[in-house]
Amino acid sequence: MKALVFHIGHDRYGLPLQVVQRVLPLLELKALPMAPDAVAGMMNLHGATVPVIDLSRASGGPPARQHFDTRIVLVDYTDPEGAVHALALLAERVQRVQEVSEQALQPSGVRAAPFLGAVAGDSDGIVQLVELDQLLPAALRALLFQPEDKAS
Amino acid sequence: MKDLSIKNKLYLGFGTVLAITLLLLVMAFNSFTRLTEANGWDKHTMQVLIELGLVRSSMLHAQVETRGYLLTGLESAIVNERDNAADLSKHMENVLKLTADNPRQQERLKKAQNLITAWVNDNLKRQIEKRRALGETKGAADILGQSNELRDSASIIKSATDLLDDAEDEENRLLKERTATSVAQQQLANNLLIMGGIAAVVVSLLVTYLLSRAIVTPLNNLTVALGRLGAGEQSTRAEVLSRDELGKVTQDFNSMAQVLQETQLREQALTNELREKVDSLMETVTRAAEGDLTSKVNVTGEDAIGRLGAGLSRMFDNLRSLLNNVQKAGIQVTTSATEIAASAKQQEATGVEQAQTSVEVLSTTKEISANTTQLLKTMEDATAVADYTTSATSEAQVNLRRMDQTMQNMVSATDSINAKLAALSEKASNINSVLTTITKVADQTNILSLNAAIEAEKAGEAGRGFSVVATEIRRLADQTSVSTWDIEQMLKEMQSAVSASVMGMDKFSEEIRRSVSEVRQVTDQLSGVMDQVQKLAPQFDTVLQGMQSQAVGAQQITETMMQLNDATQQTVESLKATSEAVHQLQYAAGDLQSSVATFAVTV
Repeated sequence: MKALVFHIGHDRYGLPLQVVQRVLPLLELKALPMAPDAVAGMMNLHGATVPVIDLSRASGGPPARQHFDTRIVLVDYTDPEGAVHALALLAERVQRVQEVSEQALQPSGVRAAPFLGAVAGDSDGIVQLVELDQLLPAALRALLFQPEDKAS
Repeated sequence: MKDLSIKNKLYLGFGTVLAITLLLLVMAFNSFTRLTEANGWDKHTMQVLIELGLVRSSMLHAQVETRGYLLTGLESAIVNERDNAADLSKHMENVLKLTADNPRQQERLKKAQNLITAWVNDNLKRQIEKRRALGETKGAADILGQSNELRDSASIIKSATDLLDDAEDEENRLLKERTATSVAQQQLANNLLIMGGIAAVVVSLLVTYLLSRAIVTPLNNLTVALGRLGAGEQSTRAEVLSRDELGKVTQDFNSMAQVLQETQLREQALTNELREKVDSLMETVTRAAEGDLTSKVNVTGEDAIGRLGAGLSRMFDNLRSLLNNVQKAGIQVTTSATEIAASAKQQEATGVEQAQTSVEVLSTTKEISANTTQLLKTMEDATAVADYTTSATSEAQVNLRRMDQTMQNMVSATDSINAKLAALSEKASNINSVLTTITKVADQTNILSLNAAIEAEKAGEAGRGFSVVATEIRRLADQTSVSTWDIEQMLKEMQSAVSASVMGMDKFSEEIRRSVSEVRQVTDQLSGVMDQVQKLAPQFDTVLQGMQSQAVGAQQITETMMQLNDATQQTVESLKATSEAVHQLQYAAGDLQSSVATFAVTV
């Protein structure tokens, strides 16, 4: 499988390419007052509003630094009811699309963050795959995707 | 047959079999009916024969009883006489009824009936009456045996029996005839059943064969064609053998195979087109990676490749214009540096000239000093010497003014150099802003390559080649970033060199200004010397003092001139430093140009 490789802190993580819609440059976000820490804000994508999740902050770190290779990754988020939502992720050092062989994948054994899944070693170290559908806790999901949002 | 649907074929086949079976059944029924009829006739004849036998036996019975009575005379022997007569007539009636269909028999039997009736009612009764009249008379039996009645009776019975024999013969003949008919009918029925059965079996087999051929042959045809299609033979078509459902299925299969073939051809064409575009892009990108930016991107369109081509084309245009700008800026820098070098050379020449002038002034003042000493010794020549001194001083003043002018020139040249350096600095800033644009373009190319890789992955197998292109583009973007960083470093070095030049020029200007003020001071002192020299004539007493002060002044001039000489030397050195800085600037500009020249940009 192929994965889009990005960084949280010094570590490399991979986002499976089948959920990735496209990569966007870092753009001005509208702040969401009183939203949880993981929510970086909201962006306007061709008229539609898409919530933006800061992956660095979602994994308990400081907010993502605004470097030239800090990107917004647009993904398709499938909730447990099966509905698909557009979701944007703020990620540091989005570098390349990399081939991760299925054989190299192994369970991490540690399940501290629910959305961090299997790991694979390569010449540069270890890549951990992000399981997108585990990213949002139920409360946050309910907050981001209101029922009228689903109806539309 | 070919134009019939399978349903009609089945109906026709089974209908044929059913019709033959029905025909067979009807014929068998007919035959059996005739057989039954023949059997009925047989039975009828048998009944007639039985009845005839019964008539005969009844007649015999009546004869025997009557004869018994005639012999014995016992009334008990003829108790049943009346019953016998009734039986006889009854059986005779039955025979007549049964033979109602045969007129000859009827005639014969009626005759027999008449004879028998007459015999019973007349002959027998008369014999019985006669015996009864004889009673117990001896020899009664013999009397009666000689009677006419008995003879008549025998003749009657004889003729009746003859008639009955004829009738029996007739019936036997009929029986034989009818039995033969019955056997013939039976034979016919058997033959019919066997032949009909064979015909039905043959027709069924024929129908089965035709039906199976009509259904199995197209199916086999279709199966073979499907197998060949499955094996990848796209041009396979099944032959349409009939116009039934299977024929339609075959036609549909053919059109499906046609559609499949066309779809594959179209797909092939699309793949070829995509490969062509990707090859074209690859060639352009490879040449660009080697520094040749002259090739144009020929791929257009609304698809991912087309957008990629447009993006690449825009990127190449930006790179070309950027490199053009950098080349132009390099040429300008080189021109400016050459101008500065020329100015510095001119200044150096001026400095050397100034140094020569200083040496001249020094020798002049030394001469003044010697003259003053000589004046001290030769007072008589004082006036002349004073005059000479005045003229020499004014000459010195003129020289000093010239020197002042030169200094002014140097100041303005320095200002010009400073302005050139400021222009250079501004150009460097322009290059910086262009570099920012390149960095942005490289950044956008990086995003474009990531999205291209994502699109390629979503395109699946078809995007495999495109994925390679996306990787190449990303490498190119990275390479661009690295080159931009290199250019930035070179630019920084150049800017620091320019700053050093500006600082050197500032120091140089400062020293020139100091020299100018010192020259002015010398000029003022020379004016004072001149005043004192002019006062020599009226104040001869003060000549000595004046001489002394003049000697001091000359000494001071010498010192000042020494200082001036030093200053000039320093100026020359500063100019050499400027020259060196300008050379460095020229080298930097040359490096910049050669770096940029590795990119071919003219189309």
